[in-house]
Amino acid sequence: MKNLFWKVLTFFLIPLAFAYGQEKVITGTVSDSDGLVLPGVNIVVEGTTNGTQTDFDGNYSITVSEGEVLVFTYIGLKTSTRVVGDANVINIQMEMDAQALDEVLVVGFGQTSKRRLTDNIASISSEQIREVPVPNLQSTLVGKAAGVQITQVNGKAESGIQVRVRGVSTITGSQEPLYVVDGIPIINNNESVNDSPINPLIGINPDDIESIEILKDASSAAIYGARGTNGVVLITTKKGKQGKTNVSLRSSFGVSQATNKREWLNTEEYVELFTEAGLNSGFSEDELAGIFNIFSENEEDWREGLVDTDWQDLALVEGDVQDIGVSVSGGNEKTRFFISTGYNKTNGIVRGNRVERYSFRANMDHNVSDRFKIGINSAISKTQISRLSDDNAFATPLQAVAQIPFSRPFTDDGVTPNNETLYYNFLFQEFNADHNVNVWRNILNLFGEYQITDNLRFRTEFGYDLNNQVEERFFGSLTEFAATNGNADINSVQNEKYVLNNYFTYDNSFGPVDLNLVGGMSFEQDNRTLQTVEGQDFPSDDLQTIDSAGEIVAGGSSRTFFNFLSYFGRANATILGKYILKGSFRIDGSSRFGEEQRYGVFPAFSGGWIISEENFLKGNTALSNLKLRASWGLTGNAEIGNFDSRTLLGARTYNQNPGLSITQLGDPELGWEETTQTNFGIDLGFLNNRITASVDYYTKITDGILLDVPVPSTSGVQTVVRNSGELENKGLEFVLNTRNFVGDKFNWSTSFNIATNKNEVTALPNDADIIAVENIARVGEPIASFFLVEYAGVNSETGDAQFYRNTLLPDGTRDREKTNNFGEASRVVAGNPFPEIIAGLTNNLNFGGFDASFTLQGQWGASVYNRGGVFQSTNAHSLDNQSRDQLRRWQQPGDITDVPQARLDGGNGNQESTRFLDEADFVRLRNLTLGYTFPSGITEKLKIQRLRLYFTGINLLTFTDYNSWDPEATADFNAGNTLSAGIEFYSAPPAKTFTFGFNLDF
Amino acid sequence: MKHLNLILLLLATFFFVRCDDNLELEPAQSLTPGPVLANPENTRDLLIAAYDFAGENEVLSGQSQLASELLANVGELTWRGTFVEPDEFDIKQMTAPNFFVQELWEISYEGINQTNVILDNLQVSDESDIIEGEAKFIRGTLYFELARFFALPYEAGSTNSQLGLPIMLEGVVDAGAITFPTRNTLEEVYDQIIRDLNDAYNLLPLSNDIFADRYAAQAVLARAYLQQGNYAAARDAADDVLNNSGHALATTYAEAFNNETDGIEDIFMWQITPQDGENDFNTFWAIRDFGGRSITGDVTVEAPYFDLFTGSDDRSTFFYEGSGTIVTSKWQSQFANVPYLRIAEMHLIRAESNFRLGTAVGLSPEDEINTLRVRSNAVPIAGLTLQDILDERKRELGFEGHALHDAKRLQLSIDGRPYNDDLLVFPIPQRELDANPNLEPNPGYSN
Repeated sequence: MKNLFWKVLTFFLIPLAFAYGQEKVITGTVSDSDGLVLPGVNIVVEGTTNGTQTDFDGNYSITVSEGEVLVFTYIGLKTSTRVVGDANVINIQMEMDAQALDEVLVVGFGQTSKRRLTDNIASISSEQIREVPVPNLQSTLVGKAAGVQITQVNGKAESGIQVRVRGVSTITGSQEPLYVVDGIPIINNNESVNDSPINPLIGINPDDIESIEILKDASSAAIYGARGTNGVVLITTKKGKQGKTNVSLRSSFGVSQATNKREWLNTEEYVELFTEAGLNSGFSEDELAGIFNIFSENEEDWREGLVDTDWQDLALVEGDVQDIGVSVSGGNEKTRFFISTGYNKTNGIVRGNRVERYSFRANMDHNVSDRFKIGINSAISKTQISRLSDDNAFATPLQAVAQIPFSRPFTDDGVTPNNETLYYNFLFQEFNADHNVNVWRNILNLFGEYQITDNLRFRTEFGYDLNNQVEERFFGSLTEFAATNGNADINSVQNEKYVLNNYFTYDNSFGPVDLNLVGGMSFEQDNRTLQTVEGQDFPSDDLQTIDSAGEIVAGGSSRTFFNFLSYFGRANATILGKYILKGSFRIDGSSRFGEEQRYGVFPAFSGGWIISEENFLKGNTALSNLKLRASWGLTGNAEIGNFDSRTLLGARTYNQNPGLSITQLGDPELGWEETTQTNFGIDLGFLNNRITASVDYYTKITDGILLDVPVPSTSGVQTVVRNSGELENKGLEFVLNTRNFVGDKFNWSTSFNIATNKNEVTALPNDADIIAVENIARVGEPIASFFLVEYAGVNSETGDAQFYRNTLLPDGTRDREKTNNFGEASRVVAGNPFPEIIAGLTNNLNFGGFDASFTLQGQWGASVYNRGGVFQSTNAHSLDNQSRDQLRRWQQPGDITDVPQARLDGGNGNQESTRFLDEADFVRLRNLTLGYTFPSGITEKLKIQRLRLYFTGINLLTFTDYNSWDPEATADFNAGNTLSAGIEFYSAPPAKTFTFGFNLDF
Repeated sequence: MKHLNLILLLLATFFFVRCDDNLELEPAQSLTPGPVLANPENTRDLLIAAYDFAGENEVLSGQSQLASELLANVGELTWRGTFVEPDEFDIKQMTAPNFFVQELWEISYEGINQTNVILDNLQVSDESDIIEGEAKFIRGTLYFELARFFALPYEAGSTNSQLGLPIMLEGVVDAGAITFPTRNTLEEVYDQIIRDLNDAYNLLPLSNDIFADRYAAQAVLARAYLQQGNYAAARDAADDVLNNSGHALATTYAEAFNNETDGIEDIFMWQITPQDGENDFNTFWAIRDFGGRSITGDVTVEAPYFDLFTGSDDRSTFFYEGSGTIVTSKWQSQFANVPYLRIAEMHLIRAESNFRLGTAVGLSPEDEINTLRVRSNAVPIAGLTLQDILDERKRELGFEGHALHDAKRLQLSIDGRPYNDDLLVFPIPQRELDANPNLEPNPGYSN
């Protein structure tokens, strides 16, 4: 009865409702021009705050009044509007925004749309990051951004990562880009206690990242002034969105192994080669047997091959990776939040190496009023690392390949490592030593934004970054510290940074001109304190803290700091929607520089012309976008020591008496290094932007390079930091994105980038070479070129190693005579450690619920010098086990080979020469992902929004002719040294990982 | 305009950070030269650091002595270590980038500059004579050690115009004062060495704790005169030390080594403590259990060395076993001081000089040699010859870093190379040649 009443009443009221604009419920489906449903489309009633979003199937439902206007917006698509009329169902097919994908990009102190962009910025979205589980932030970018080379130093899990944006533009200063998280520059200092760097960004959970923008050209980077030269990496973390609360859960597990292992001599081969080598050098068989017996437990071990240890297999082990994360996000009109936590555990492929990271993030923003918004982004993480020695230590696992194959790894009990080995047995590190690091990282950022007028906005940001690291080492009584009954040290570092940004933003339109102005200031203070203590003589190997040390042998503390004070401004004008002009400046002052050079000014200008907006092209779908860009600007590099401009005396003790010595001679004129960068670009879009491409050409000229200028040591120091020298980088970048197949069920898109870089040193102090062991900075050559004696193979009559004399003759050519006397040969420039071409190719495919993607990454033109070669591959010069290729040594007159006669301790070709230099071109299947997303019909019944299972493989295939472990693995102890680039020394190859995982959204 | 106040407020906060003050920071671990050099109290601090430079393991606490022993090695030793640099010494194929060579040059000149800074800024005080003497002792000693390695041998009785070292006598305390010197002749370098050490002798006190006293200067002079073949001066200098320094032979041979404090026999030692300094004799000559690098000992002693001995002699058994190898017991203690000037050496210098000159200043050569022999329970020699004295030198001073310099002074051939072979002279470090175009390389090294 009650029901009937309502039905009747409704019947009567409906006409009234129509007449008076009564509310009703509209439903519908939103799809794109290809008919694919679009989840997450924003739908609002124009002029109100009433709004909703489409669900996973593109469906929506909203209560509106007739006559009101529904506005449908979605990134990259044209905004659609519909007036609510009779119909209760409004289905919308949204059109591609043919003019340009109006993507929003984060830039320094603001945002811009891709359409209005005159800069060169590479952008990576969370979708791209999310596809592939990687343990660190930087690895997400590999192969994705043109002109950005990303290389993990070597295969240790916490290893530092080198990011080179458009080549190397400094010599002594840092080459790393500036990292800015949510507007705040963060600490990027390696705090490792040994020479193997720890990735300073290891505590950042890649899954918290919404987008990464890399500011490559001066027009975008100059707003960061004295720190813009190496590019700027802007990281935006995920924020909550208004609407339903989303819960995302992800979990993956993978196993890993080395990408490559090398071949070494087994016992039989070792005995054969070294016996031959010994006899050639005048040792008797008895003497050789005596030597072999030292390193074998029983004579039969080597005579009969009873022991045949594969030391490489002991060093490179199977690893695994576990990654778990949960995030919750959501919000209402006033308050939005994003909360996440993650756990990552990586058991490295190098024995004894492990990383565990716990991370937490809470981002929140709140509208205090219509005009006033505040927020906080905060992250805290703890990373625990079980570390290894740096590559230049016997204790580093990979140096075990030098051990003799008939030495047993363990004693008879099978547990205690064997002490009677050629080199210190690294297995003691696991058995009787510990090396642990805890890193606590806290990045916090508070902001307030006030809309002063409709056009003028003020934003203040306060950032605090704390990198707190404690590194503890213990070496027990069986290790290298046997003579002192063990040794332990602890090293504690606190590095904190305060940043204050205040700036105004003004947006307005004056007739045909859209104007955007930004102006403000920034202050930054960075403090670092360190405490260290070392002890010896432990009563027991089970007492590993310094409390138990019998003697404290070293201790210390230090403090250091630097400040930056900066003012900046930017004006951006778009005229008639097609002519774009931009100008910016930054004034930077730093405590690091000499008094006379304290402030620097960094201007930049750029312009763009969207030709496709002109009448003759407008609406053309074949050529749907055509834009020309040009920019010029000045950036700096300030990454040197905090007090490099001064002459200093520091403590130097003798017999524990206090003393003072000159530690550096300073140049009071020291200032920043300045880079002038010019960029020309063209953006193209075809077929309604199904194909987009851009081409950029740049030149980067750096002068006043921050340089450790070598001076005669007769002056009491070896180097002085000066602004000296000039170098340039030139290059071409090409990016192509295509949507090859767009359909209801099947989609395929491709993204390809390739970049060239030509580096040349154009001036040095007095045009004199600067040489760092195997590398050289020489005018007219790429920076850090290899500088080596040229190996000329083997004399087929004598078996002697030969070298080209390469003496400079009066006519300017070089003497190409061969000599077997190393001392007679001159060094020559022999290769470039940096690639001339880098490229990446990514394909994404979707078929129904299946998805697949893969990225190929390649580089060409670089060489790597294997400094370990003088031990590994020297036809049995020293007792080190040899690479297997040494078996093709010269044995009798007439033999044609590249390996000289084996001579134990005979010095036949073991000198540093191009014999150990090799080209490092490679193409790598960086990742391959196969996934399946369950149909929403099934998952919805389980109250699950989305469930995806996937497999990901990282570094599955590497195509290279490089003859050592890996073309990307380099000596970690050189990582901080610009000039010593491209040097390998027992450097672990990267991991090849096979991962299975799932993502679950509620 | 209701927002005006707010804008003003924001503008005020905008500039609230005072500008330049925040950019004036002073380092916490370092001082600038002005106040240090003006303060006489700091002069001793500068001197302490000068000792530290000279006593570095790369300079006079092991590395240079290792080079001397290996370069002169003709089978008494085996190099079993893995460092490339000593291997180059051992096979007499040094290259200009040899890092041991480079470190010796660099750190020695850091020490020399440090002494120059001290001498430039010396202000008269109670202590200033002593400080001047010590600085000159260090400077003269460093030039002497460098000259023996980096120049062709000193030829007695002729003008030694062969390339020596750049003589630096003015301290560099600012980058503008850096010079690009050429090499002086070896004769000029020896003149400087003898001038510095004579000045030191005259300025230094009779004893000076662990630091250099006048007899330390005299002992280095004795060594330098011997190297020049100036036997009379060598004899008299050694005689002065033996008679007046108060030092004497330790009771037993073993007591002369592995001492953590200066002993009766030590005229001068480089100080090592667990906290400070590194004994590279120990690093290379001891086995791992005693702080060395390898289980065999990086340098082991072979049969030909033992051929020097006939009959019982404590010095022929002052060895222990490595892994099937024989290593010297001289450097068994990781934190022992490095004996730099031992009284035994003075006996040997006086005996040899007396013998060559046919004199018997202080003691007859035969008695002097037998004094050493008796200490080691060896049978005394009757009818002493020069060869006996030289053999005694090897028995007594073996592995202490004299081998190369003795071979050159005695014009012995090494592995078929004449004593004055180019390749028995250190190359001028490649780094130095690269940094200083005025520096001439040594003959025989072209890359």
